[in-house]
Amino acid sequence: MASIRVENIEKTFGKFKALNGVSLEVRDQEFVVLLGPSGCGKTTLLRIIAGLEQAEKGRVWIGDRDVTELPPRARKIAMVFQNYAVFPHLTVFENIAFGLRMQKATPEKLRANVERAATLMHIENLLERYPAQLSGGQRQRVAVARALAVEPEVLLMDEPLSNLDALLRLEMRAELKRLLAESRTTTLYVTHDQVEAMSLADRIAVMNTGYVVQYDEPMKVYQEPANTFVGGFIGSPPMNFLKVRVEGQQAQLQSLSLKIPTPAPGPEVLLGVRPEDLEAYLEPQPQSFTAEVLVVEPLGPHLLLTLRFGQQLLKATVPPDFRVRAGQTLWFKPQPDRLRWLDPGSGQALAAR
Amino acid sequence: MRSERYIPYVLILPSVLFLLFLFAWPLLEALLLSVRGSGGQWTLENFQRMAADLYFKDALKYTLLLTVVIVPLQVVMALGMAMLLGGISRGRDLFLYVWTIPLGISDLAAGIVWLAIFTERGYLNSFLQGIGVIQQPQLWLSYETPTMIFVAVVAAEVWRATAIVFVILVAGLQLIPKEYSEAAEVFGATPWQRFWKVTLPLLMPSLQVALILRTILALEVFAVVVALGGRNLPVLAGEAYYWYNAYQNPGVAAAYSVIILGISVVATMLYLRLMRSKREGAA
Ligand SMILES: Nc1ncnc2c1ncn2[C@@H]1O[C@H](COP(=O)(O)OP(=O)(O)OP(=O)(O)O)[C@@H](O)[C@H]1O
Ligand SMILES: [Mg+2]
Repeated sequence: MASIRVENIEKTFGKFKALNGVSLEVRDQEFVVLLGPSGCGKTTLLRIIAGLEQAEKGRVWIGDRDVTELPPRARKIAMVFQNYAVFPHLTVFENIAFGLRMQKATPEKLRANVERAATLMHIENLLERYPAQLSGGQRQRVAVARALAVEPEVLLMDEPLSNLDALLRLEMRAELKRLLAESRTTTLYVTHDQVEAMSLADRIAVMNTGYVVQYDEPMKVYQEPANTFVGGFIGSPPMNFLKVRVEGQQAQLQSLSLKIPTPAPGPEVLLGVRPEDLEAYLEPQPQSFTAEVLVVEPLGPHLLLTLRFGQQLLKATVPPDFRVRAGQTLWFKPQPDRLRWLDPGSGQALAAR
Repeated sequence: MRSERYIPYVLILPSVLFLLFLFAWPLLEALLLSVRGSGGQWTLENFQRMAADLYFKDALKYTLLLTVVIVPLQVVMALGMAMLLGGISRGRDLFLYVWTIPLGISDLAAGIVWLAIFTERGYLNSFLQGIGVIQQPQLWLSYETPTMIFVAVVAAEVWRATAIVFVILVAGLQLIPKEYSEAAEVFGATPWQRFWKVTLPLLMPSLQVALILRTILALEVFAVVVALGGRNLPVLAGEAYYWYNAYQNPGVAAAYSVIILGISVVATMLYLRLMRSKREGAA
C-alpha cells in the first residue's frame, strides 16, 4: 500500500512562483481533498506528484520510494486530468482499457475491469462510441473510469466531477467515496467545491497562492479556520469577521463581553463567527449586541440576513419561521464555544483557544 | 442586407476563374487531346502508340519504383526528424531552419547540385581520387549504370523534398495537445508505446496530407531526372516532355499526362480510404 509525501515543493513558471514550499502528507488509504481558489496551484501540485512537471526544489515520495527523479510511468499512479485528456482516436472501451493494456492485463481481467468502471460511472452503454460523440460530462466520466479501471494504489483526481449536473454529481460523489474506501485507495482529490470537499475528505488541505494554509479534518477546517482566508473561503455564506475592541482580557461588543483566551496582539481583535452560530432575538437580551437588518433572503431551510453592526456588515441565518423584516433591529448572542479569535493585522488565528 | 449575401461569392470569384482558366480548362483540353486523332475523331490511337513505345514500360516502371522508394523514405525520415525536434527545446528554431533550407531550392537546381557531385569531374570523383580509392575518374551517370542514376535521383529527391514532409509533420505534431501523451505516460506507456498508440494515430491527418502531396509530386518527377540522367532513366513526365517537344506529338504527350493523372487519382483515393480517420465526427 502507499502513502504520498511531498516535501518543500517549489515551482516557478518564468517569474511566477506557483508553489512556495508545499509540504503535504497523505497517509496510506487516506482520502485528502485539495481545496483552493482558481490559480492557487492545485493542478501544478498534482502534476508534480504525477511526475508530469519537475519542481525546482523539494522531493516527492510515494510509499517508501523517493520518486522525485522517476518518470510518470514508473510512479504507479492513476490520474484524472482536469481537461480529461480522453484519447480522441480510441473508443470509450479502449480509453478505459488503456492503462490495463499497458500493464498487459489478461483479456478476462481487462474486460471485467473496464465493464465495472464503466458501470460505476454510468457509461456502460457508451463503450463503442468515440469521444467526439460524447457530451462533456460523459467524457469526464470516461476519464474517471479510465483511472479507476487500473485499480491504482494511488489515485490523483483533478476536479473529476466538475462538469456533471448537480444530481449526478451528488450520486457519483457517494459512489466514489464508497468505492475508494472499499478498495483502500490512497486518494488526492482536487476540487473548488467546498461541499464536495467537506463530504468526501478525511482531511482537507486548503491552498492559497502557492501555500497550503491549513491541513486538517473537515470539521476542524470549518470551525477553526487558520486565518481569515480559510474562514472566508469555506462555508457559504462565509464566516463573519468582526473587529472588536479589547479591554484587558475581554473583547467588548456593546453589552456583550467575551473572554479572549490568549493575550490580544493590540487594542483590537478580530472575532470570527459563523452565520449559523449567531442566535437572533426580537427583544433586548443581556450579554448581546444589536444589528440592523438590511436584507432578508429566504433560502428554504433558513433565512439569510444581511446585517449592519456599526460600520461593519455581517451575515446571520435564522429559522425560516423567524418573523423579521428589513429595517428591524435584532439582538444577537454568539455561541460561546464556536468563536474564533484572529489577529486583525495578519489575519492569522490567535494561538490555541 | 441582401447584397451582403453575395459578397463571399464575389470575393472567391477571381480565384475560381483563375483556377478554371489555368487548371480545369487545360486539364480538359489534355484529356480531349489524348483521345482525339489529328482529324478530330475519337480514337485510342495515342494510347496505343504510347504503349507500343520502347520507353513506355521503363518509364512506367521507373516512375513507380522511384515513388515507392522515395516517398516512404521521406516520410520515415521526416517523421524521425520531427519527433527529434519535439524533444529539444534550446536551439529548436535553428534546427527547424536548417532542415527546411531545401524548401527554397528548385528541383532543377537540386538536380544540378547533385550532378556536380556525380559527374565525371565532380566532387565525388575528386574526393575518391584524393583519398586514393580510384585512379581514373569513374563514369557514374551513364546509360550503362541505370542503378547508379536511380540512386542519384533518389538521393537528390530525398535531399530536396523531405523538408516539405517535415514541415507538414512538425505542424501536425504541434496541433496534438501534449495532454494525450501525458495521459498515456501516467498510465504506464513507454516512449515507444506513446509514439505508436497515441502520437502516430493522432498524426494521421497530417501524414495523409504529406503522403498525398509527396506521392503526386513524385509521380511527376522530371527536372531532377533530366539533370542527372537525361533519358537514360526514362520517367512518365519526361516522356510526355519528349513526345511534345522532340516528336512534336501533343496527342501522345497528353496520353502520358493522363496516365500520370490516373495513377495520382488512384493513389490519392487509396490513401483516403486506408487512412480514414477513425474518430467519427469532429473532435
Ligand atoms: N505552464 C505554465 N506556465 C506558466 N504559468 C503556469 C503554467 N501552469 C500553471 N501556471 C500558473 O500557475 C498557477 C497555478 O496554476 P494551477 O493550474 O496549478 O492552478 P489551479 O489551482 O489548478 O487552478 P484551477 O482551480 O483554476 O484549475 C496559475 O496562476 C497559473 O497561471
Ligand atoms: Mg486546476
